[in-house]
Amino acid sequence: MIDRGAPPLRLMNTRERRRYMFGYWRVAVPALSVLALLWVMTAPLLLPVPVFPQLGLLAIFIWATFQPGLMPPWLAFLLGIVADLLFAQPIGVNATLFAGTAAFVRVFEARYGHHAHGFDWGIASVVVMVTSIAGAQLMALAARPVPISPLFWQVLTSIIAYPMVVWLCAAIQRRAFGPGGPR
Amino acid sequence: MDWTPAPRRSSAMRREQNLALVGAVVSGAVIATGLLLLLVARVNPDAGARMRGAALDIVTPVWNVVRLPFDGAGRALGLAGDYLGAVNRNRQLTADLAKANANLQKAAADQLALKQLQALMKVRVPGRTPVLTTRIVAATSGSVVRTAMLAAGTRDGVGVGMPVIAANGLIGRTIETGSHASRVLLLTDPASRVPVLVQRTGQAGLVVGSNRPALELQDRVGPEVPLLAGDQLVTSGDGGVFPPGVPVGSIITGGNGTPQVRPATTPFGAGFVTIEAAWVPLPAEPAVVASETPVPVEAQRAKPAPKPVAAPRPLP
Repeated sequence: MIDRGAPPLRLMNTRERRRYMFGYWRVAVPALSVLALLWVMTAPLLLPVPVFPQLGLLAIFIWATFQPGLMPPWLAFLLGIVADLLFAQPIGVNATLFAGTAAFVRVFEARYGHHAHGFDWGIASVVVMVTSIAGAQLMALAARPVPISPLFWQVLTSIIAYPMVVWLCAAIQRRAFGPGGPR
Repeated sequence: MDWTPAPRRSSAMRREQNLALVGAVVSGAVIATGLLLLLVARVNPDAGARMRGAALDIVTPVWNVVRLPFDGAGRALGLAGDYLGAVNRNRQLTADLAKANANLQKAAADQLALKQLQALMKVRVPGRTPVLTTRIVAATSGSVVRTAMLAAGTRDGVGVGMPVIAANGLIGRTIETGSHASRVLLLTDPASRVPVLVQRTGQAGLVVGSNRPALELQDRVGPEVPLLAGDQLVTSGDGGVFPPGVPVGSIITGGNGTPQVRPATTPFGAGFVTIEAAWVPLPAEPAVVASETPVPVEAQRAKPAPKPVAAPRPLP
């Protein structure tokens, strides 16, 4: 993503510098799409059981595979803090889980390479399951214990929702970055 | 001069390796920071209240607008249903009204007796003060925490720790406030505790949520007394947040084990809710009890003498 042919910033005037900077708005696209999905997760569906799929976590996973450079763990951490604020969870629960997911994808892809959709779906299912249980443990660490068994429904809906989030992120990816990856 | 170019490959490889190392260190540091934040949250659960309020203020107005067309559609459906079921409903209501009037006549005598007894015993009953009526606009449907967001905040007089009540029963209490949005902890959340009375037996207990549709009745006084299915639970007023007598739910199944409670009202479709001031708010200053034991002169000089407990202020 770093443009090596860029002119030095010192040689540009203010307008050119601004144009050059805002020409890189695409780097914010993955983070903004995750924020949008987190907002969708606060839909006014007042269900007594957590059944809404973990769209934010899935989007972090998918962007970490699509655009590893644009979804580093520290960015996932910041998005997780936003999720904690939105969901009234102790600050750090989703931040740790999101950052851990991004780091896991980075290590996994570096070691085992990129995979087909079906295999990634399976990995995402395992990730969602592990993060649900780890999330309950982290909530207990923050002195807000939650029962684990109702989380089963959320894991199930998240696994079902995975292809839809992939479709959405792929559409955004094609729009923002073109068919062949970033530029 | 003919000299071989520097081996770019190895330097590039070294750069890659360094970057990977830095990336790994940053990732580890980030996850460690997350765990540290969790410990901070454990020690100080109220940390970041202002940030939470700001997040509420950003998200809630958007949902307030987005849900308008859905509300309109729902209202249209409701109107159609009302129109079709008007006759049946009228008959039912007429029958109910006759029954209610009979009960009311009985209750009037009881009210009179209660008032006389209260006057005799000089009982002070704090009143309920509604703050405002607003609507539920968003919820944390995707999280392990069960909360809902209201379109009213500190600007409208809403504070933390106020009971939220719908027409049919208790919804929860406020836990966070922004300037024009606030968050309610629903009864189904695992952190929710509501002191209740079983109306038939008069036993006190706690209604606890568990992220499931049914609530649990825990810590009941006299657990050996069996409960019956359909026993009504109302708030007891203990703790001072919830006013007494608000319906909370009804027992689903009697018998042994932890009794399961069906909530009296579900926030889904509750629409408008009333926020009330805490029934008996906590005193602003902690009460200091004047002690009889002599205090050394040095200690008296160090700090002003503690004021004795103030008499309870007269309530309306």
